[in-house]
Amino acid sequence: MKDLIVLAYSIYLPIAILLTFYVANSLFKNSIVYMKDIFNGREDIAKATNTLFKIGFYLMNLGFALFILKITNTITTAQATIEALSIKVGGFSIYLGAMLFFNMYLFFRGKRVAKQKRTDVQTANLNLEKE
Amino acid sequence: MNYNVISYLIYGCVSVYIIYWVGKLFHRNGRIFILRLFRNNESMTDTTNNLLLLAYYLFNIGYSILQFSFWERVTGIETMIASISMKTGILIMILAITHYFNISLIYLLSKRNYQSITSKT
Repeated sequence: MKDLIVLAYSIYLPIAILLTFYVANSLFKNSIVYMKDIFNGREDIAKATNTLFKIGFYLMNLGFALFILKITNTITTAQATIEALSIKVGGFSIYLGAMLFFNMYLFFRGKRVAKQKRTDVQTANLNLEKE
Repeated sequence: MNYNVISYLIYGCVSVYIIYWVGKLFHRNGRIFILRLFRNNESMTDTTNNLLLLAYYLFNIGYSILQFSFWERVTGIETMIASISMKTGILIMILAITHYFNISLIYLLSKRNYQSITSKT
């Protein structure tokens, strides 16, 4: 009976890790565009920020995946195994989606702030020219 | 050797490796931000960066070693996997929360500084 729990763990762990890697890869391959926009095309700082956010994303999600791994109820049949796995995998992928939207919110917010700053500078320059 | 000692060994190796690797990445990618905060003073930046890395290693490896004395009684393979992964998960999540806190700290400091991190030059 204990073997089933170990089996469930060994199914859950690769799924969670691969899912995290896939989502992080597709998010941060595209986010470099926002980063370049936020930092005015300065390559080095955009890349560094992108990497830092990527590390944060990996840490947050892998940590959560490992944290919720423990199965507390006893598993005796294949049906119980599948049901326990469905809670874990489904909950984790909903959590991943929420984190994805949180990161996108951060990027868009940064973009808006940077744009606001640039227009402020432009209007200040225009006012100077007028005077 | 009982299950507890084995899980201490696995957890120690895994957590020290994760802490070392993440610290190296932060050290490399965070340098440019410290350089900006110190207004392009290279030598000051490098010493500060190295000292920060050392403090990070001390705090986190100390925390992970401290966890050995709060370990539950491990009776079999399945409790071993569960307890190792829960302890590692808590450690990684602490790292992540500290990391997001640091990002916001850099952002706030650069906003207070005379030039913003999003402006040119």
